[in-house]
Amino acid sequence: MAAVMAGDQVALAALVTRHHAPLLGYLYRLVGGDRQLSEDLVQETLLHVLRQRTYQADRPFKPWLYTIATNLARDYFKSAAVRKSRREGDSEEALLHLYDSAPSPEERVLAAEQGSEVRAALAQLSEDYRIVVVLRFYQGFSLQEIAETLHIPLGTVKSRLSVGVHRLRSMLAPVQKGVD
Amino acid sequence: MPHPQSSWPFERPEQLTDALREQGASPEECADLLPALRRLSEWQAPQPEPADTRRLLARLTSALPAFSPVRQAIHEHRQHRVAFLLATARAQVSLFGLAFWLVSALITLLGAAVVLSNVLPNQEVVLRASGPLLAYLGTIIAFRGRGARVLELELVCLPSPLQLALARLVIVLGYDVGLGLALSLLLWAGGSGQVLALTLSWLMPLLLVAGLAQLLTLRLSVQAAASLAYGSWLAVLAIGTTTNLQVLLLTPALLVLPGCIGLALLAIALLRIHTDMHRLLPHA
Repeated sequence: MAAVMAGDQVALAALVTRHHAPLLGYLYRLVGGDRQLSEDLVQETLLHVLRQRTYQADRPFKPWLYTIATNLARDYFKSAAVRKSRREGDSEEALLHLYDSAPSPEERVLAAEQGSEVRAALAQLSEDYRIVVVLRFYQGFSLQEIAETLHIPLGTVKSRLSVGVHRLRSMLAPVQKGVD
Repeated sequence: MPHPQSSWPFERPEQLTDALREQGASPEECADLLPALRRLSEWQAPQPEPADTRRLLARLTSALPAFSPVRQAIHEHRQHRVAFLLATARAQVSLFGLAFWLVSALITLLGAAVVLSNVLPNQEVVLRASGPLLAYLGTIIAFRGRGARVLELELVCLPSPLQLALARLVIVLGYDVGLGLALSLLLWAGGSGQVLALTLSWLMPLLLVAGLAQLLTLRLSVQAAASLAYGSWLAVLAIGTTTNLQVLLLTPALLVLPGCIGLALLAIALLRIHTDMHRLLPHA
C-alpha cells in the first residue's frame, strides 16, 4: 500500500488484481445482484483508497478496504431515490410472492440453480444482518475481521450473525434433489 | 452472456460447521442451520474478466499519485525510523571536531581538579560556572552552520531541520552527561563528599543554559544567544554568591530546578522550530 501511495503502478496492478474479484463479489451480493452497480462501487472504493490518507501501515489492509466498500454501499442505499425505488420493488416482490406462494418442486430446483431464491432471501435481510452474513459466508472473513471492518464489538458480530442465519433458515427451505 | 462464477470459501463441509460453532451455535443449532447455509453457495457472484480488471486499472492509474523517487526514498527511510535517526546522529558527529571533545573534557577535568584540591571555600560555584560553559561551547559548535546560511540546504535534505537539531542536541547533551558521570567518578575516587550534589551542581545549570541558548537561537544569532544565556547564568551566579540571595537562588533544595527549566526550554525551542523557520531563512 505504501508503494501504491508513492505512485508505483506495478504495486497498484498487484493490489487491483488481488482484490478486484473478491470486492466485486462482496458488493454484488450486497446490492442484490446488480452487476453494473457493483462494478461502479468497486471502482469508487479503489478511488477512495487512492485519494484518502487515513490508512495506517501497521493495520491490516483488508478490513480497511472493506470498511470503505461497505460505507459506500450504505451511502448508496441511503440516497432517497434508491430508498424509493427499493420500496416500490419490495411491494412488487411481495405481490408476486402473494400470488405465487407455493412454487412447484421443479420451479424450486430451477430457482436454486440460478440462486434467485438465495438472492431474494438475502435481500429480505436488513442491511446490518446482510453485511455480516455476506462477509462471513461468502468472503470467508473471521469474526475479528468483521469486527474490525464494521467497527463493532465481537459480541455484536456474533449476535448479528446468529439473527441473520436464523432468519435465512426460516426463508430457505432445503432443496429436494432428484426431482424429475 | 454468463459471467464466470466466484468460488465458495468453504471447500469442506466441516468448515461451515466450524464457522457456526465459532460464532456460538450449539450442535443442535448447527444441524438445523447447515442445510439453509449450504444453499448460500447456489448464488454465485460473477468473476471479472481480465479485460474488466485492465479497464479498472486504467481508470485508477489516472488517480494514482505521480511516481516520485524522493517520496519513495522517504517512505523507505520511514520504515526504519530508529536506524534512520541513528544514521543521522552518526553523520552529525562529524560536525564536531576533535577540539570540541577535548576542550569539553578538559573543562570538566579542571572543574574536578579545583574541587578536589579544595583551593576555594565554595567548591560548588566552580562547578556551577564550568558546567554551563560546556553548554555554551556545544551550542556554538553544533549550530555554527546558522551563520553560513545553510538552512536552505538542510531543507532539501531527507532529515528535517527538527531531526537535525534533535540529533545534534542528543550528541552534545549525551556527551555532557557522559562527562558528568566521569566527573562524579573522579569526585568519588578523590574522596569528595556529596558526590551527587556536586555533580548536580555541574549538570543542572548546564541543562538550563543549553535550553535557554536553544530558545534564544530562534530570535538571535547563535553566538549572541549562547553568550546571552551563559552571561545571564554567570550574572545570577555572581549575584547569588556575593549577596544574601544565595540562600534563595542556590539552595540545595532547588538544585534540580534549573535542570527541569532547561529541559522545558529545550522542548519549547524544538517545538517552535517549524513555526519560526521563516526567521531562520536567508532573506534577499
